[in-house]
Amino acid sequence: IQDDHKLSASELEEKYGTSIDKGLSSARAAEILARDGPNALSPPKATPEIVKFLKQLVGGFSILLWIGAVFSWISFGIQFAQGAESPFDNLYLGVVLALVVILTGVFAYYQEAKSTNIMASFSKMIPQQALVIRDAEKKELPADQLVVGDIVEIKGGDRIPADIRLIFTQGCKVDNSSLTGESEPQSRSCEFTHDNPLETKNIAFYSTTCVEGTATGIVINTGDRTIIGRIASLASGVGNEKTPIAIEIEHFVYLVAGVAITVGVVFFIISISLRYKILDSIIFLIGIIVANVPEGLLATVTVSLSLTAKRMAKKNCLVKNLEAVETLGSTSIICSDKTGTLTQNRMTVAHLWFDNQIYSADTSEDQTTQPFDQSSSTWTELSKIVTLCNRAEFRPGQENLPIMKRVVVGDASETALLKFAEVILGDVMNIRARNKKVAEIPFNSTNKFQLSIHETDDPNDKRFLLVMKGAPERILERCSTIMINGKEEALDSEKAEAFQTAYMELGGMGERVLGFCHLYLPESEFPDSYPFDTDSTNFPTSNLCFVGLLSMIDPPRSTVPDAVSKCRSAGIKVIMVTGDHPITAKAIAKSVGIISATSETVEDIAKRLNVPVEQVNRREATAAVVNGMELKDMSLEQLDEILCNHSEIVFARTSPQQKLIIVEGCQRQGAVVAVTGDGVNDSPALKKADIGIAMGIAGSDAAKNAADMVLLDDNFASIVTGVEEGRLIFDNLKKTIAYTLTKNIAELCPFLIYIIASIPMPIGTITILFIDLGTDIIPSVALAYEKAESDIMNRRPRNKRKDRLVNEQLAVYSYLQIGIIQSVGAFITYFTVYAEQGFLPSTLLGVRVNWESNAINDFEDSYGQQWTKYQRLYLQWTGYTAFFVSITIQQVADLIIRKTRRNSIFQQGLFRNKVIWVGIFSQIGIALILSYGLGHVTALNFTPLRFQYWFVAVPFAILIWVYDEVRKLLIRRHPGSWWDKNMYY
Amino acid sequence: MATLNEKKTCSERMENFRRFVWNPETKLFMGRTLINWVWISLYYMAFYVVMSGLFALSIYSLMRTVNPYEPDYQDQLKSPGVTLRPDVYGDRGLQIYYNISDNKTWEGLVTTLQTFLTAYTPAAQHLNINCTSDTYFIQDTFDGPNNTKLSCKFTSDMLQNCSGITDPTFGFPEGKPCFIIKMNRIIKFFPGNGTAPRVDCTYVVSFLLYQQGDESRPLEVDYYPVNGTFNLHYFPYYGIKAQPSYSNPLVAVKFLNITRNEELRIVCKIIGAGITFNNVHDPYEGKVEFKLKIED
Repeated sequence: IQDDHKLSASELEEKYGTSIDKGLSSARAAEILARDGPNALSPPKATPEIVKFLKQLVGGFSILLWIGAVFSWISFGIQFAQGAESPFDNLYLGVVLALVVILTGVFAYYQEAKSTNIMASFSKMIPQQALVIRDAEKKELPADQLVVGDIVEIKGGDRIPADIRLIFTQGCKVDNSSLTGESEPQSRSCEFTHDNPLETKNIAFYSTTCVEGTATGIVINTGDRTIIGRIASLASGVGNEKTPIAIEIEHFVYLVAGVAITVGVVFFIISISLRYKILDSIIFLIGIIVANVPEGLLATVTVSLSLTAKRMAKKNCLVKNLEAVETLGSTSIICSDKTGTLTQNRMTVAHLWFDNQIYSADTSEDQTTQPFDQSSSTWTELSKIVTLCNRAEFRPGQENLPIMKRVVVGDASETALLKFAEVILGDVMNIRARNKKVAEIPFNSTNKFQLSIHETDDPNDKRFLLVMKGAPERILERCSTIMINGKEEALDSEKAEAFQTAYMELGGMGERVLGFCHLYLPESEFPDSYPFDTDSTNFPTSNLCFVGLLSMIDPPRSTVPDAVSKCRSAGIKVIMVTGDHPITAKAIAKSVGIISATSETVEDIAKRLNVPVEQVNRREATAAVVNGMELKDMSLEQLDEILCNHSEIVFARTSPQQKLIIVEGCQRQGAVVAVTGDGVNDSPALKKADIGIAMGIAGSDAAKNAADMVLLDDNFASIVTGVEEGRLIFDNLKKTIAYTLTKNIAELCPFLIYIIASIPMPIGTITILFIDLGTDIIPSVALAYEKAESDIMNRRPRNKRKDRLVNEQLAVYSYLQIGIIQSVGAFITYFTVYAEQGFLPSTLLGVRVNWESNAINDFEDSYGQQWTKYQRLYLQWTGYTAFFVSITIQQVADLIIRKTRRNSIFQQGLFRNKVIWVGIFSQIGIALILSYGLGHVTALNFTPLRFQYWFVAVPFAILIWVYDEVRKLLIRRHPGSWWDKNMYY
Repeated sequence: MATLNEKKTCSERMENFRRFVWNPETKLFMGRTLINWVWISLYYMAFYVVMSGLFALSIYSLMRTVNPYEPDYQDQLKSPGVTLRPDVYGDRGLQIYYNISDNKTWEGLVTTLQTFLTAYTPAAQHLNINCTSDTYFIQDTFDGPNNTKLSCKFTSDMLQNCSGITDPTFGFPEGKPCFIIKMNRIIKFFPGNGTAPRVDCTYVVSFLLYQQGDESRPLEVDYYPVNGTFNLHYFPYYGIKAQPSYSNPLVAVKFLNITRNEELRIVCKIIGAGITFNNVHDPYEGKVEFKLKIED
């Protein structure tokens, strides 16, 4: 490790070839940048693209399809060697199957790459800026352009852009919590105080924040060579684990693959024992596999997820990992940060106390006026102090922005006061110009006040005005009078008591309180040209007149209370984890509803009953405020007990490491935990959480890298919208899967009946692929646009062990009921086509061998007509087309019934989801094109179908609809009944 | 993102499965109580009974709508298929190879012909009438017994030298074999537009040239009946219900001068209006193609 902290400023200048006044030259900086690379953490090492792609090729159903393809090629090889007549059919089938796997693989890969790209583009969106001296000029540069030797200036509120050796400081404090977990700001100075560079006061570290004061320093490390960079690269070795939805999909793949393999093997054995040739049996096996595997489904799921991800991105939830979309929906505990997430992340004046009365100020995000009573002349004086005794300034050029959005140079409290004054008085800068400042003592931690002396704007009043603000008790010490209703009155013990009460009350609300006082300096003693000297303080600083108190808080975002109550009704426990003081934390928790109005903590009960805390029955308290210090000494069991017994929990004064402990505790309860975080040290908690949520604005890159989701607006309410979307997509995926699985039976039955009853083949393998990857794709994606059936935010989060995506009811209802109706409908069409062309159903039974024989060219039908092989084959293709069309027609009905799982279609509305209609029209359109447009391409096995055959299955489609309506009606009428339990999926 | 993966050992899985099959605590068999199984089975039984009923009903009404005499559509039967006897299929269609001096190679072929012609003995044809007219035998009424239509007699003796009566070996040992050409039945099909369709056999010099045009050469053949025609009074066919005893008219072809030890590609077309033989997908529509090789 370096010893830069031991060097003097001039030694540093020499070492880095820079000048403290002039900085580096641009050319030199460019050189170093080229040598060291940009000042950014290199992202965690990604899986090679080819590996990602290959994973897509073997995941999910791909293995089954590969098996199908290999079997096809094997049977082609055998047939080719035997010199059979049309061996190439199997070759083509194998190629088609392989193509299906590759295409869906490419698609999935593309989708994944796209979502990764969104993330990549996002991290470029909000570059951090740094104030650098280069070529003897101050410049704002993107922080990643910084190089070693640059001179940077930092002020309160900035993030430290690199590891910096400080050479000039003024009241500088940094928050090293992202590095050390210590949330107490630490002061920084230029002195070398410790041998260890991590401990010495003259180094500020990359990604920590400067809380207050200003500093200038030389950049000594950039990018991955910074301390944080070294930690981050150590931490990035953690592999990705499975999301709940990935587990659900895996479960579903196993289920379907299990059915496919079981049916395939059973019928392989049956066909062997029915004395079919091995080769034929293998071909049947391929058909059964293809019929059973919903080839398009995984792609559909990906599309649905990415549609939701897009929708969520619009609502400021940027999802890095598609599957996290659903994880958010199954979240049962949210561990939320306070600052910035629940609150607006800016100090705002919340209360005022003057004339012995507390006034409330508006703390909403977009205040334009303040409604409290401003008629008292005490307020006039107070407002003057607030305006004048303030160093904060608006950055120029923001006149058109709303006041609350303007950027201010100054610390958080001063900013709050400045904006507060600007809202009420307007043009503060002008007021200050009219009341020229003649002397000033800035705030420092020893005297804890700030003072300034101004000329007045009244030309007749030649007195100077001394204004002072600071810690209330310190201010009060310096006062001898107090202003009540514009009149100075002696500060007696009664008035002091009133002050104390107000101070305690405001402080008890977790607010930061400031006292304000003033003094008009008598003209006789302090004439116009009086030389004010702040070092010798040749002016009074005591016996002042106390004017009032202002208290500030980082107020909750206005959308948060609503969002928290939504979470509550959605059965999601919101736990606040903050580094803040317990009182502030509790106040915010109460105001946003994390601790509800009626619930009490153990301490509250103790206070109410006036008994020691130990005597209170802990079970009675629903809320708990746990201090980080207490947490440190707790055993895991104690933590579990707290998490179990209290529904409303606030963790205050916690370090990021403790966040990890809390997350683990929640996960021990079996909860799906969402965690918000922004610091580097939050990354373990973010990784550990089921879904880590990083803050887009305040978040560090490390946090964003570790997170699954990024909140672009840092707003807690966005998480709730995300939860809603996540729950909706889970429901809609159920619908999509139910829709897709249904027709598998209608595709499978033909093979089974073909093998058992030896009828001509009702549907071809290629035709099945056209359903799975053609007509069915758009409709199944359309279900992702379905609106929720009821308020999904009113039910409990799904239990990840019990509420499966594909449950028994869904599979059984789809396969054994709707699927069977579809098969019957399709077979009726098949028999109709054959009967009307001359083959009555009775003739068809058992004809397979002769029907398929190339040597029989005078095959007799039910009317005595004789058919050549090709004429039969063409009829067979017509049968395929008819079967295909019937499935398509019935899938339209299937699509409509899948819109809802419980409600009637009429409750849901047939036309609310327009995309469903796009799906229906695409489905029918594709079928029309295949039949009439491509009906003459023999390789596709479609024929131009007589028009009336499109309608044979319509009664069965209607039956599907009616049957499902009855099912839903009974479910609604008899909740909890046998029917509900068995028929609701 | 945290793991939800619970790694289970094989024995745990087996235990879980055993528990799933029969859970003694909750008395669940495969996830259901026994009574629940009864209910669900009853429901499915009822459901499938209803579905089978619907299926049967649909098939019944389908059968009610179809015409028992002729099919509603003949979309695939625009032109009749043609078949050959004896029919021995090799890898690429019909292949008749035999050796004059080896009885075994042609006895099978002869037997095929003999068996085939048993349907054309006078005894087999006794239900059919003798027809003499050379025009279509159009019957609008059911004049036959049991509400049927009459069919014309075709007996094997009409094939003269190839009837198997005079020469039971159909000329195979002499290297002048007889082949029988049969046209497929199509209901209400009127071939030839008033002219009797006839068989015309040629041999193909090269397949390539054959595809380009009629690069086929005439063969020295005898046709029975004379000119190789199918008499018009066998048409139209009214279907198996109307003409249960109908038998297809035949044409026999006797190849008189086949080059020995050489594979010949022979095409026998049926020439007549309404009969097409240029469907690239169907080698048996309006024509029959076969390879013949006679060795000695």
